[in-house]
Amino acid sequence: MQALGRLPLSLKLPLLGAAMMVLVGAVASQQVLRALAGVQDARVQELAQMHVEGLSVALGPLVLRRDVWEVYDTLDRASQGGEGRRMILTAVADDTGRVLAATDPGRVPMDSAIADLAQGAAALEDLSVGGSGPVLRLLAPLIYQGRMVGEIVTELDVSDLLIERRRALMLLILGNAVAIGVLAMAGYAALRQMLRPVSTLARQMTRTEGKPYPIPAAEIPRGDGELARLARTYNAMVGAVAAKAEAEKRLAERERFVALGRLSSSLAHEINNPLGGLLNAADTIRTFSDRPEVVRQSADLLDRGLRHLRDVTRASLDQNRMDMEHRPLSAEDFADLKLLIQPELSRQAQGMDWSVDLPGVPPGLAAGPVRQIALNLLLNASAAAGREGRIGLDASQGGAGLAIAISDNGAGMPQAALDRLLTDAPLSPGGGVGLRLVRDLTLGLGGHIAHHRAGGVTRIIVSFGPEPGVQDAEG
Amino acid sequence: MKRRALLAGALAAGLAGRARAEPVFRMGLTPVFLDNDAAVVDGLREALSRGMGRQIELVQRRTYQEITGLLLERSVDAAWLCGYPYLQHADALGLVAVPSWRGGPRYQSYLIVAADDPATGLPDLRGGTHAFSDPDSNSGYLVTASDLRRAGERAETFFSRAIFTYGHRNVVRAVADGLVRSGSVDGYVWESLATIEPALTARTRVIARSEWLGFPPICARRDSTGSEPVLALRRALLGMGDTPEGRQALAALQIDGFQPASDALFDGIATRMRDLEA
Repeated sequence: MQALGRLPLSLKLPLLGAAMMVLVGAVASQQVLRALAGVQDARVQELAQMHVEGLSVALGPLVLRRDVWEVYDTLDRASQGGEGRRMILTAVADDTGRVLAATDPGRVPMDSAIADLAQGAAALEDLSVGGSGPVLRLLAPLIYQGRMVGEIVTELDVSDLLIERRRALMLLILGNAVAIGVLAMAGYAALRQMLRPVSTLARQMTRTEGKPYPIPAAEIPRGDGELARLARTYNAMVGAVAAKAEAEKRLAERERFVALGRLSSSLAHEINNPLGGLLNAADTIRTFSDRPEVVRQSADLLDRGLRHLRDVTRASLDQNRMDMEHRPLSAEDFADLKLLIQPELSRQAQGMDWSVDLPGVPPGLAAGPVRQIALNLLLNASAAAGREGRIGLDASQGGAGLAIAISDNGAGMPQAALDRLLTDAPLSPGGGVGLRLVRDLTLGLGGHIAHHRAGGVTRIIVSFGPEPGVQDAEG
Repeated sequence: MKRRALLAGALAAGLAGRARAEPVFRMGLTPVFLDNDAAVVDGLREALSRGMGRQIELVQRRTYQEITGLLLERSVDAAWLCGYPYLQHADALGLVAVPSWRGGPRYQSYLIVAADDPATGLPDLRGGTHAFSDPDSNSGYLVTASDLRRAGERAETFFSRAIFTYGHRNVVRAVADGLVRSGSVDGYVWESLATIEPALTARTRVIARSEWLGFPPICARRDSTGSEPVLALRRALLGMGDTPEGRQALAALQIDGFQPASDALFDGIATRMRDLEA
């Protein structure tokens, strides 16, 4: 039964159909054989009855007279007829049970007891072909003028009827086997054809490329049957899944550009601020070009301002090239982050606790995704902390792992934001995808995210590696 | 050609007219010969009818007793009897003629058993079943019964069971088929069967032959032996070998012909009758 359960539907159903046909065939064959047996029994009984009645008429007076010769002569002549071929032996006894004559006197001698021969003999109404062997034995009273004057024992050869029955059985078995075989094969082919869309659906759903594939239009059944609707619904579903993934991808892109936009404005501000001092220095150089000490001081000022501008632009360029960054993470990346977030902090007049403790390079961590994770969380913390708020970053290395904790003293994360960050729940409309991007990137790097809120401070801890030393938020 | 046809027609009409004028001669037949062969009976009637110049009706019954009774009560004019019933009614019956077989008017009674039976004589058959032909048959009963009587036995007790088949051929069949162990049969019938049904007699074996006894004779009532129809029958019988039909009938019967008979011919049977009644 378990083996049957493991079989594919396209094999199981035809097999079940064939099994039912075998059952039906067996029952029908049984009925046919029973009917045949009934006909044969009736035929043999009728024949035996005619034989006995004919003998009773012919032999009655002879048995009464104990005319042995005439009894024998009558039996002998009767056995020469067509009926004699079936009646292979007939013996007639008088009313005392002594044999008067038999068609085979050598086997049944005169004056022997008929009871010896009648052992195992059946009465006329109990005569049945196929009960024992090819020879039936019948015991019947010899009635003459209304009284029993003797007994008749007859042996009937029914081997031809048995052969007929065996032949019928063989034909039935053969016919049934052929019919069942043909119908089972036809049923298998038909059901397989009918179930082909289901097989296709199962195959498309279990393809190993990581995402479901639609069923080609040519393989969708014609018409508006259940399977056609199922295939179309599946294709629509696959389309929806693809569209959703595309939308999420576009949202993530947009989120990155949003972050970049915010950074750009801060960057413009960051560049604009020293520009006044730099222009002043240039004017000073032009005005006091004859005073070397003033020129030198102004040149130093220009140099410092331009170096700062160079650092800021480099950090921005690095951040923008994040997708292509596959180099390992280093302490310099955190310095870049600090540089990138600084303008936003200045704009919001926010304070920051910055602690980076990376004595060695954490193995196997790419710089790009980690920078994106940290930047998104810092921007999120900055937005949550509000004006004159306080945020913090604590990156520490424990063993082979890395833990980055971002904190803010804002009002705490709303549940929708937490869902985006900590679960795979569907994105609710209206919310950004920055936090979900953090989650996807973290999980992609094999990391964990934990959330704590204590003493008015929200802490998001992102940990990578086997021993992060922080509570597993995924549990 | 035409004249000849006319002559033949006139002769036939004359014969027929004469035959119609005479009363039908009725002759009884006992199963002393192969009475089951219709051709034999027809041939005999044809030959006698031609010889006597009158219509013959052959009357057959199952037993000797019935035919003897018909003769005694005048229901038949003559009958082919056996020597035994003739002697039983010798006071009322007279001899007309007797067949000649193998050169003389005598035959034998055979004691037969199945071909594979080890018996060599009558004493070996004690306790077995036996088939007689007819209680009024010399060869089919009297010979064996008188032999037993001479030996101090009786057929009813010597054999476990004795049946009558009312026909010599039936005796041969009963023995050949194994219905009975032994049988008493007319030697003439057995020899005739050996010619025409050798497969039947081959299944039997003759273990004893009696002395030569008077062949079954053709008899009439003693008071009519001198009457015209009986004399005509006698002439027809004695002259049977002179006509083609007669010779054909004799050949079918497998006998030589008929000859006059005397009571002395049946002395052997008379002796046996006395021994049986003793």
